[in-house]
Amino acid sequence: MSPRFLLLLFVMAGLVVAFAPLPVQSVTPQERTIDIDARQYTYSPSELQVNKGDTVTIKLISTDVVHGLYVDGYDVSIEANPGQTATLTFTADKAGSFRFRCNVTCGAMHPFMIGKLTVGTNNWLYRSIGLATLAIFGTVISIKQKA
Amino acid sequence: MKRAELLSRLIVTVAVVGVVGTPLYLWSRTPIIHARMAENGGWTPDVIQAEAGKPLHLKLTSDDVMHGFAVGQMDMEAVSVEPGKVTDITLNFEKPGIYTFYCTRWCGLNHWRMRGTIEVSGSNTDLKPASPPLYVSLNLDIDAPHDATVVPNGQPSVSNGQSLAMDNSISLSHEEYLASSPFEVFDGLKNSSLTEEERWDIVAYLWQSNTTPDALANGKQLYAQNCAACHGENGAGDGVFADDLAATGEASMQTMSGAENMMMQTPVDFTDSARMLGATPALLQGKILRGGMGTGMPMWGSIFTEGQIWDLIAYLYSFQFEYPK
Amino acid sequence: MAKIELNRNPFIENALKSRYPQLAVFIVMLVGYIFAILAGLIGTPVGSHNFSIVFVWIAWWAVLILVAVPFFGRGWCAVCPIPLPGEWLQRGAMLAPPNKRPKWLNLRVPKMFRNIWLQNISFLLLALFSSVLLTTPNITSIVLAAMLFAAIGLSTIFERRAFCRYLCPVGGFIGLYSQTAPIELRIRDKQACVKCEGKPCYNGSEVGYGCPWDVFPGGLTKNTYCGLCMECIRTCPHDNIAVNLRPFSADLAKPTTRMDEAFKSFIMLGSAMIYAGVLLGPWGMLKDAAYNVGSNSWFVYAGVFLAIIFGVLPGLFSLGIYQRQNNIAFKQRFASLSTALIPLGMMFWVAFSLSFVLTNASYILTALSDPLGLGWNLFSTANTAWQPMLTSILAPAQTLALVGGLIWSARTAQKAANESWTSSMPVIVYCFLLTSVMLWLLL
Repeated sequence: MSPRFLLLLFVMAGLVVAFAPLPVQSVTPQERTIDIDARQYTYSPSELQVNKGDTVTIKLISTDVVHGLYVDGYDVSIEANPGQTATLTFTADKAGSFRFRCNVTCGAMHPFMIGKLTVGTNNWLYRSIGLATLAIFGTVISIKQKA
Repeated sequence: MKRAELLSRLIVTVAVVGVVGTPLYLWSRTPIIHARMAENGGWTPDVIQAEAGKPLHLKLTSDDVMHGFAVGQMDMEAVSVEPGKVTDITLNFEKPGIYTFYCTRWCGLNHWRMRGTIEVSGSNTDLKPASPPLYVSLNLDIDAPHDATVVPNGQPSVSNGQSLAMDNSISLSHEEYLASSPFEVFDGLKNSSLTEEERWDIVAYLWQSNTTPDALANGKQLYAQNCAACHGENGAGDGVFADDLAATGEASMQTMSGAENMMMQTPVDFTDSARMLGATPALLQGKILRGGMGTGMPMWGSIFTEGQIWDLIAYLYSFQFEYPK
Repeated sequence: MAKIELNRNPFIENALKSRYPQLAVFIVMLVGYIFAILAGLIGTPVGSHNFSIVFVWIAWWAVLILVAVPFFGRGWCAVCPIPLPGEWLQRGAMLAPPNKRPKWLNLRVPKMFRNIWLQNISFLLLALFSSVLLTTPNITSIVLAAMLFAAIGLSTIFERRAFCRYLCPVGGFIGLYSQTAPIELRIRDKQACVKCEGKPCYNGSEVGYGCPWDVFPGGLTKNTYCGLCMECIRTCPHDNIAVNLRPFSADLAKPTTRMDEAFKSFIMLGSAMIYAGVLLGPWGMLKDAAYNVGSNSWFVYAGVFLAIIFGVLPGLFSLGIYQRQNNIAFKQRFASLSTALIPLGMMFWVAFSLSFVLTNASYILTALSDPLGLGWNLFSTANTAWQPMLTSILAPAQTLALVGGLIWSARTAQKAANESWTSSMPVIVYCFLLTSVMLWLLL
């Protein structure tokens, strides 16, 4: 096979791995209420798992100073004072993994006060590892061909 | 030396001196009040001078976390003091005196220690002599036990109490309300033909009739902002700082006198019927005004107005009675 | 692929030969640097609103790792203000050499320090305290000032830029990764250098100074230690110095044999992974441990940090490349094959920094308008709300960087393996495993 053809083949395969639609596992959406404690500089729980389509209600309880919670990708946020639980409700309509982070400056490590919300499965991670695998095969084959 | 070399040195020197000097000059000319968590110094400066009748301009900034600023017993919106940002505020004091300013956003267990004073000078001396608060004129010992000996089974019903009170033409004047505990009123009805449950229902109604929805709403807001962090959002004494308070209480009280005093640090549970139904509004006023003396309970005398304290107290009873909230 | 000699263009050649454009850039950089030090000391202690933190760790870092290093190699070193005051003092001039040089010690750096181990150590020292350094303005200022004064001090003791070459915590990895960059400074004709008398490019002349980086340009084969200061363009009497545009990764075809450089690869790879986990991960315990310097948990963190960098990563690598019978010594294969980790490490840093920088870039606008936190609003951007940027393309961009880095590394591994007559497979598998871990940490 010519190297060009091989390259084309791998690029095509890469596109398939990256973008091919996956069979959607339909789970009945449910309403979830999650209590999250916030303290300098962490959330607890800091890793959330919900299904796509769920209506998620986050109750943010600040236990030391004023904290916020901003969800990357969803662009929604709340701010909670200690003693005043704040509530954020949104529909988890985008699948994947999203960081959520404090958006009210809460001390030195504030920029790193981060949690992780996974909606459905973190497909992009698996696709990325697939791409990495494909990349390795491609490189090895091209090396073998040259040799 | 060549002119170019000389010129370069001149430019570099001027640039370096300029970049150090200019900001330093501007910085030294900008007085800013810094807010830090109480453990790290609270307000700097914490004494501010002002003159009655002249506007006082303040620049406020926070050096760590979100804080707030308000002056006690003054009709003003609290402002947020955000980390790294500067909040400008202008205050007007009509009367001379010493005012307390305080942090309005919870910033840790010692949030309430973040206070400072504004000393307002002026010639305006037509000060009314302050009348002593009710708990003083009633000569109450606010540290004495005051538990109700009988408590209702379940939450008394205000609506039921209302019709019963109408039928039996029972009422409670505001002065009586302030000076009586629910239990005392309940006890005072013992010679009637009413059942205990009915008597509690009437007490609930009488308490509600001595407040207004506005007062309750105001009290609820004051409670959420100032009390809930320790006493809990539902009044159960289980706020987010309750555990920390107990822990610090243990550490600080241990050397003083035994295990019982440690209990002092636990925030009061307003859902505890014996305690709340045995307390008169005047007694609660005393506790709020004065604070807990060595417990974590702050003194609110210089912060809340009398009206705010009565609103707050009205709200506190809502943990016992089924008010329409 | 052919190289393009950029300074064939008379405009570029003149701009590089003249001292004034460079001096102008230097002055701006120096002023910015000193302002950053000052801001950290007198400005707000809130890192995300202080010019020093925002401009050093967000703006400068973004430019350095996403643009300067990948595309210009040591381009940052070309404009870095840190060596300037010391160098001016050492030279007794800001422009061309003076008639009379000041009498500083001008010692040669002792042989045992003429490697990048000191840079490895200085980087690690900062790395272990990074959570505090990254978030505390006055600590950042102290470190910036310390680097400036260390550079001045070393200039008066040793010859040339001893700080840049042997101590700068940043210079070490810029040098390592500059090998991948599509820009280089090389000689045009070897014979001209052989015949050249006095070698003014290294020894200096009346028109310019000998190489501040202690490099003889005639012998340059790799970018690692060439600081792109352009001094040799000025001193070369034969117009023999070229600044070339070249294919990416050209220097990686010549694998290193040095252990200090090999370990630099592991240090950079390891710290990128640890930062991705500690700073961007959801694990609060790790953040507490990293931030509370001096606490027991911090000592555990520091121990694990060093164990990963000096134990786990090189250990697994060694296990992979271990062979009973090979004519080439293990140490040499270790160093040579570690070259494969250079593009991988750089792309790890790119992927990590993308997340950090895009999330916090909006602080740049705030800090620009109110650099000291005094309530200024110089450019009407002081009240810009914090808002992460380009969150939707962040994950794909990170994957692209990491998978791209993996391919790049695999190809580099193959070249290095050919040189040492061994198989590249273990290194490729190693790179794949590390990439998978990094993907898991970041995505």
